This record gives sequence, structure tokens and C-alpha cells, in this order.
Amino acid sequence: MSELLQNLIDGLGRGSIYALLALGVAVVFGIMHLLNFAHGELITIPAYVTYWAFNNGWNWWTVVPLIVIVAVLSSLLIERIAFSRVRGAKDFTLLLTSFGVHFIVAAGFLLYVSASVKQIPRPTWAANTVAISAVRIELFDIVVIAVTIVVLAGTTWLLQRTMFGLALRAAAADFDTARLMGIKSDSVIRGAFALSGFLAGIAAVFWIMREGQVTPTAGIDPMLKGVLAALIGGLGSLRGAVLGGFVLGLAEVLLRSWLPIEIQNLTTGFVFVMIALLFIFRPGGLVSVPQVERV
Amino acid sequence: MLEVAGLTTKYGAISALRDAHLTVGEGEVVGLIGPNGAGKTTLLGSIAGILPIESGTTTFDGADITSVAPEKILRSGLALVPEHRRIFTEMTVEENLKIGGVTRSATERGELLEEMAELFPVLRDKWDTAAGFMSGGEAQQLAIARALMSKPKLIMMDEPSLGLAPVLVDLVFELIDTLRSQGRTILVVEQNATRMLSAADRAYVLRSGDIVATGTGAELLERDDLFDTFVGG
Amino acid sequence: MFPDARRDVLFPVIGSAVLFSVLVGGGMLYQTIIGNGAAERLMTTMLIDAIIVIGIQVYIGNTGILSFGHIGFGAVAGYAFAVYAVSPEEKLKRIPNAPFGLTDTQVGPTLAMLIAVVVTLVFAFIVGIGLARSGAQSGAVAPTVITLAVLFVTHEVAKSWPQLTGGNRGGVSFAIGASLDKRWPILLALFAALLGARLYGQSRSGRLATAAREDNLAARAMGVNPLVQQMTALLISVIVVSIGSSLRVWQIGSILPDRFFFDYAMLTLVMLIVGGRNSVTGAVLGVAVMTAALELARRLGQEGFEIFGIGLDQAPLDWVFRENLNSIVLGIAMVGFMIWRPSGILEDWEFDRWLYRRLDRDEVEPERLVELDEVPDLRFSASDISVSFGGFHALSGAGITAASGEVVGIIGPNGAGKTTFVNVITGMVEPTHGEFSIGDRSLTGMPSFELSRSGLVRTFQNLRMFGALTVRENVETAALVAREHRADRQLPDVDPLIREAGLWEHRDRRARELDYGNSRRLELARAAAMAPSFMLLDEPTSGMSDSESLTMIEQVRHMAATVGAGVIVIDHDLGFITGISDRIYVFDQGRVIAEGTPAEVQADPRVQAAYLGSMAGD
Repeated sequence: MSELLQNLIDGLGRGSIYALLALGVAVVFGIMHLLNFAHGELITIPAYVTYWAFNNGWNWWTVVPLIVIVAVLSSLLIERIAFSRVRGAKDFTLLLTSFGVHFIVAAGFLLYVSASVKQIPRPTWAANTVAISAVRIELFDIVVIAVTIVVLAGTTWLLQRTMFGLALRAAAADFDTARLMGIKSDSVIRGAFALSGFLAGIAAVFWIMREGQVTPTAGIDPMLKGVLAALIGGLGSLRGAVLGGFVLGLAEVLLRSWLPIEIQNLTTGFVFVMIALLFIFRPGGLVSVPQVERV
Repeated sequence: MLEVAGLTTKYGAISALRDAHLTVGEGEVVGLIGPNGAGKTTLLGSIAGILPIESGTTTFDGADITSVAPEKILRSGLALVPEHRRIFTEMTVEENLKIGGVTRSATERGELLEEMAELFPVLRDKWDTAAGFMSGGEAQQLAIARALMSKPKLIMMDEPSLGLAPVLVDLVFELIDTLRSQGRTILVVEQNATRMLSAADRAYVLRSGDIVATGTGAELLERDDLFDTFVGG
Repeated sequence: MFPDARRDVLFPVIGSAVLFSVLVGGGMLYQTIIGNGAAERLMTTMLIDAIIVIGIQVYIGNTGILSFGHIGFGAVAGYAFAVYAVSPEEKLKRIPNAPFGLTDTQVGPTLAMLIAVVVTLVFAFIVGIGLARSGAQSGAVAPTVITLAVLFVTHEVAKSWPQLTGGNRGGVSFAIGASLDKRWPILLALFAALLGARLYGQSRSGRLATAAREDNLAARAMGVNPLVQQMTALLISVIVVSIGSSLRVWQIGSILPDRFFFDYAMLTLVMLIVGGRNSVTGAVLGVAVMTAALELARRLGQEGFEIFGIGLDQAPLDWVFRENLNSIVLGIAMVGFMIWRPSGILEDWEFDRWLYRRLDRDEVEPERLVELDEVPDLRFSASDISVSFGGFHALSGAGITAASGEVVGIIGPNGAGKTTFVNVITGMVEPTHGEFSIGDRSLTGMPSFELSRSGLVRTFQNLRMFGALTVRENVETAALVAREHRADRQLPDVDPLIREAGLWEHRDRRARELDYGNSRRLELARAAAMAPSFMLLDEPTSGMSDSESLTMIEQVRHMAATVGAGVIVIDHDLGFITGISDRIYVFDQGRVIAEGTPAEVQADPRVQAAYLGSMAGD
């Protein structure tokens, strides 16, 4: 029982970060039909900046807002430089462009910073555990879950109650009609990337805290998690993406505790297979909307 | 207010428009009738900036709006109620209206929302309902109200009576009447030619991409060969 | 001429030989000029990369489906090859406890390669079934995800199954008796890959797959089953990739999970994209260009150059041009091409097709097609068709009949249900009620590709051409299907059909370059090439002027008569419909409200009211 609770909290803790990443991926996909394989770079870039910051005397209090700001700026910059030039292109093209961006960023860090692992000091409180009856729970997980809930609530408020959110939703639902309402394509796309960057920034804070290090290819894992979770939820749906994130987190933890030790490393592989199967039997994801073929 | 000169558009394979000339004066209700596939939607789409124009010009309020982006055209005061309405089905009535007024200030928007609630009581009743659950007639009213939220100088409607039962068609034309009495300028594409000609000040008949007849609503209604102009040949 | 063995067999062979010579010759030249071992290794690597990229091209080029997984298949093949080819002594050091007694097994490299191909094929077949079930088609997200899964899963398994693969440390490093110091297996495989890729591309399966790539819906309407063709393309591509991967492992002398993962997948993909993914010639070009570019980048990073007297190993340029520029070059190449030239340098240009057209003798204009005297007497019948979307009744008990040799028109105002009706009888929408048939053969419930094979062929309101294919190739696609599935009918020859449609002078132009009127005529010709029992034309005069519509009347009648097809035509142009139809059905509000000759229908006041609308209370 206590192990179950621990696994649950662990799973939700991971799932929170995945949910934030997935939401970021889904927001961009909803507007531009672009599956962003470069989303993970919104963690890599702030991570390297964090490394630099700590080497220059910053502390976690000042670094956290820095991470978020850098993530937002990176997201906007990538949109400006790369994605704005392939707007309206086929999905094939969009996908490969994001792939290419990922490569350039990862390679850039590899070449121009360092291939070696850079250590980032973890915050002191992250190692603490909290006891609830017989169960020891990591304080870190609790903080992650709490912050994620707040951020998700805030994002929901943004999307449901502000004109900006309304414009985003309208553009995602029907981009052309949104333009007929006077919504500027540039503004709404940049807004989506900014929001996506913000969500990635929050995720980045916790990712960096947990990993305690950064390498040039650090972005692959979060990107995969974000994309996979968004796919589980069904690419068209923001709610689905969040749900997918939590499902992924829990699935990871459960797989780890059920699989025999020898193949525990295959967890990501298992998840991939599950998703592939999901696509085969339910192409729209968990929260799917059936598509009618247009003649 | 609106002037279209020599407009030629090739919209992929759907329909083409050849050398169209059209004017709409302030306060007028102008109808655009003709059989399907004639190019009526293409004409509105070209004016509104959503279809690429091959040659010719469109001028609105003295300014050249040929091939300008649709969001800019809306902001200059020309609104389009698209064919099939294209309301945001996942959003509530209120949200749809708010989006229509996205270019207005918050206070203005608030006032306009109240105006719409008065003008369209059925919308007020369904204020917080998802727009996807509305009937055809309600959706049409929502689409028109949404366009009005941008305080347009000229409002274009594409087949507002499409798919509506006769009593709702009445409603639509009553609405057009009301809007006209408010002094608004309206350009309407309609399939229901007889109704449109009764309601319009002037009209154009479009067939196979060419404007084949024009005149006041009454003149065109009186022609015996109206059906023939539809059929052609 | 159709089928054309010169174009589809002879010239691909010639073309492959030329491409082979150019690539290998160019490589030998470079090798001789530079004259050291590094150059030789570079060329060997290039040739092996070419094999693998050609293999990937066979799939991505012919189906339009973006696959990240082929390197994953390569991993499977590579490991299978290594495990079977390496000597037991070596294996004892790395994988002493391999399952299935593999530690003690060894076979010659050729047999090992064969085993690798077979094992990978089985795996690929299973993945292919998954792809088919997920609705794979050009541009879809699902197959990309599934193939990405293949890449990741193979990587993870390789890392996590050290008993079989040696895991992540040291791999299955080996000397296979004779190490790959001879080039000839590579050269042989390269030529075979080139030839195989081109012959497949021009084969029936390859051409049908390409049609489906251009427009999946239209292909199905022409009787193509894209899933079968995609599986074929997948299996052939996997054979080539497996051979190439085995050679790669053989050449390097060892295998590691990371060798067949993201980096190599990116490299091969960039090579293909840069050259032009829809062309084998493009694949070869892409390999050559990227090999050169990467080698240049490597040199710039390592040795430093002088350009215009400025040494590139001086600050600040040495900061940019460092070692390992590869990945950046790849990334920039990928993004750059996506922005400025997504189809690649060559798009879908093939050397042998170009050669064929240049060397081709002047074709004689084909003879006129004669209208058939004997037309099999079939009857199309749709009865009591109802469709409801939620509470909305789009159709209520609608039905029509048509006889061979007849032209039946369907008219009605917008929203009358005509389009829904057409979608039902062409297999795109399932009716809640009702059935339709040709003769005594029921067609209800058939998918669209089966419908056209059964003789009901449609055209589309939104013109659906196989845009990148030529006029000829468009018509040949239908003819290829007809030869297999409509063999009991009298099939029209392709060239005369093209001439009949007035497109002979455009026969080698791409369909997307045709003007509007010609595109419509191409649609007609393509449909006619299926030797249909009934042609269903969906708004064929859409976008045409009155005069153009009138010429269509004669064209449609004539085309139908040459293949003995009955015609069902939906259109809004009343002039056209009344001019072409023997009988007309009038739809309104989901029902058939009138039926009769054009004169009868035109005089019917209900029809006039339906079109002009009525005042309230009428």
C-alpha cells in the first residue's frame, strides 16, 4: 500500500512535468499543425544558461525566473528564424524543419560549448522527504505537482477568460475564420509560441533541478515525453495532452515497478510500442475526434 | 462605398470569376444572385481577401483593398459572414460574439454584446451554450451577430438562408430589413433569388463566372426570362 | 504506347548503369587524386550510404510517407548479420551467452546477409500491418510516429539485451574471416539497389503507389488499394536497407546501438531530402552532395583552409569552423531545404526518364477511337437511400436508375442532398438505409476502390489530379488497374484515349501544369480508361464559362460512347445539364422531387420554385 502511494506520487510528479511539456507541444500543434521536435531545446537552452548563471554567482531564487524568460525568448526566436518561413507548408515539411532545428541547437551546444556533462547544483530542499504515516514522499514531487496545478489553472484561466486565450482557441479551431474576425496571424502564432515557451520554462525549472546536469542532447528526452504524451491524448486536444502527460508519468513508474529488472531499461521502448499500438487501433488518441474525409 | 472593377479570380478548380464589376453605395442593400457554381462565393471571398485575385481591383471607402490580408480588410470596416456560417462550434455564443469584436476595445465590446443580445433574443437565451448545439437558424443569427460585433461599415453575407426552413428564411430577410433600417450597408449572396430581389435595392445576376444582368430589385423581378438567365443558352 | 517496355525496363537499366558509373567513377577519381587511405574509406562509406539511402527512397519516394524507422530496420539487419557472421571465438569474448545457441554458430557473410534480410523482412511486415491499420498515407502523422517507435525500440532493445547484442559496450566487434577489403560486394549491391529501385518505380506497384502518394482519395477512386502498394514498397525498401546495413557493419567491423540511431537516421534522411526524395537520381545526388559537404566541413574544422588569403584557422573564424561541424551542417541543410526547396534539388527528375524522352522517336499520332456499337446492357439502380447525420436528414428515400448508353442528370439547389447522394453511391458515406447495384451485382457497402473495379468510376468536383505525374501517367494509372480488374471489358488504348480527350500534345506534361479545361478533360480520360460501366461526373463544368460548358457536352458524350459507359452527372449548370441529359432527376431537401426529360423538368413549376426560391407562404 505504501509503495503504491509512493509510486502514485512519483508518477504524478513526473507526469506533471510531462503534462506541461505536452501542453506546450499541443498548443503549437493546434495553431500551426506543427509537431515540434525541437520542443526539448526549450529545456536545453535554459539549462546551459543556468549552468552559466551558477558559475557567475546566481542562486536558485534568481535563476528560476531566468529559466522561464529564456525559455519564452528561445521559443519566440525559433519561431521567428525557422518556423515562420514554413508556415502553411505540408506536415512533412513542418516536421522535418523542427527536426532540423533540434539538430542545429544540439549540435551548436556540442560544438560551441562542450560535449561534456555540465553539473548544476540541485536546490537543497529537493532532497527532503516528507513522512505521511508510514510513507516517505519526496518534497520535490509535492512541489512539482502543486506548481503544475497552479500553472495549469492559470493557463486554463488564460485560455478561457482572456481575449488572448479566446483568440488562440479560435485560431486553433478555424484559422481562416479567425482571420476574418480580424485576428492577425503573426500575433496569434507568436502568442502560441510564447505560451508554449512559458509552459516549457516551468517544466524546465523542475527538469533541471531533478537532473542536476546538462548535456547537448538533453533535449531529446523531454521532447519525446512531450510529444508522446500529446499523442496519447490526441493531438487536437489540450485537455488530452495534459491527461496524456499524467498517464505517461504513471505508466512509466508502474512499468518500472512491474517489469523484471533486466528489461527495465526498455521502459521508453515499451511506451513507444504502446503508443504505436494506440495509433494503430485508435488513431485519434485517447481523446479523439473522428475525422470525416472531405471530398 | 465598395467598388469592384474587372475582378478575375481563379479559385483552384471550384469556380472562376471573369472581369466582374460591382458597386455598393452607402446604405444600400445589394443582392448577388445566380445558380450555384456561378462564382458568387468566389466574388465575396476575393473581396474579403481570402481568395487570391488574378487581376482587377477592389476599393473600399476610397482605399485599395485588392489582395490585402483578410484581417486588415476586416479592420478597415468590411466584414464577411462566410458561407456555412463557420461559427466556432466549441465556444459559447458569448465567446463567438466576443471574438467577432476582438478588434474593439473592451468597453465597446461590452456595449456591443448588449446590443446583440437585444437584437437577437434567441442568442440571449443561449448565451452560455456551446455554439455547436444550435440549430441552423440560430447559428445563422449568431454568424450575423458575430460579424456585426466588429462594427463594420459594410457587411457581406454568403448565402444566409442556406439550409434553413422557410419560416427561418423569413427571419433572415426580416433581419436584413432591420439592418437596412439601421442604415447599414449590406451585400448579400443568395440562392433564393425571388426573396432577395424583393429585399434588395439593386442586384447583380452571376452565371458561370460572368455578371449577366444588373438592375434594381424590382426590375429584375419583373423579367419573365429570369429563369432563363439562370439557365443560360 | 502502353505498356512501354522501353520506358519501364530498358531505359531504367541503362539509367542505372549510368548513375552507377558516375557515382563510382567520381568516387574513384576522388580517391586517386587524394590518394590516401582516408579517401578510400570515405568513398566506401559513401557507396554504402548510397545503398541505404536508395532503399529509404524506395519507400518515402513512392509512398510519400515519412519514415524515421528505416534505420531501425537497419539496426535489426545489422545485428542479425553480425551475430551470424562473426566467428565463435570472437563471439565468446563479447556475447558468450547468446540465446538460440548463436554463440557457436557461424555462417559465411553472404548467408548471414540473407538471414539478416529475412529476419528484418518479417519484422517489417508486422510493422507494415500496423502502418496500414493506422491509416497511413502521404502526410499523415501516425506513420511517422510508428516508424519513430521502430527507431527507438530497436535502439533500446539493442542497448538492453547484451546477451544478444553486446549491449552498449564494444558491440559485436569482429573480423569476419575475410574482412571487407574488397569492394565488389558493395558495387554489386549498389548496382542491384539502383536497378531494383528504378524498376520498382516504373513497375505497376510503384506507379500505383506514386498515384496514391499524389492523391490518396483519387487513387482509390481509380481502383487502387494504396495499402497493398505501400506494403510492397516497404518490403522492397527494407530488403535494400538490410543489405546496405549488413555491408555497413561489415565495413566498419563492429556494431553499436548508436550507429543505427538518430544521427545516422538524420544523415540518411538529409541526403535523401537534399537530392530530391521522389527520385532515385536525387537520392544518389544527395548522397554525393552531402558526402562532399560534410567532408568539406570536416576539413574546415580540422585542417584550416585559406580563402582569399584569410586563413580559416585564425580567430575569429576558427571559432566557427571547428571539428565535428557535421551535425550543424546536417541541421542547417535540413532546415534550409525545408524553407527554400522542400522537394530537393532534383524533385522527382529521373535520369532515365529524361533520356527516354530525349532519345525517343517521334511518336505518331494515334488513331481515333471508335465508339462502341455493342454496349453491354447494364442497369445502375439506387433505391431508397437515406442518410441522417445526427438528427439531420440529408437524404430521405432518394433513388435513381440509369442504363448503359444513357446520360442521366442530377440537379437541385445547394443543400438538396446531391453531394451526399453521390458520396453514398461512391462508397464514401454509409447510408442509414437503401442499396445500389449495377446489374444484379450489389454495390452497397463496398469501399471506393472496389466500386471502381466493379465498374462505377467517379470524377471529383475539386479536381483531383495526380499532379506530379504526366497526363499519360495519369491515364496509365487507371489503365493499369483496368487491365487487372476490368479485363472482361473492351479496354480502350491509352494513347488514343489521350488523343480523344484533346490532350495528345500535352501527353508528357505534368497534370498540375494543365489549364483548367484540359484538367477536366484529363479527368474524363482517366475515368474512361477504367472502361467503366458507369461514369459518375461530379460537377464537371464547375468553374467553366458557358461556352466551355457547352463543348463539354460533346466531349462527355463522346468519351462515354467510346467506352460504352452510361453517365450520371451532377451539375449546377442548367444549360449543360439540359443539353447533355436524356433524363434528369431533381433533388430538393433530401428527396427526388421531379424526374423527366429536360423539357419536362424545365417547364415544371416545382423545379423553377426550387431554383428561384419562393416567397413566404407560396
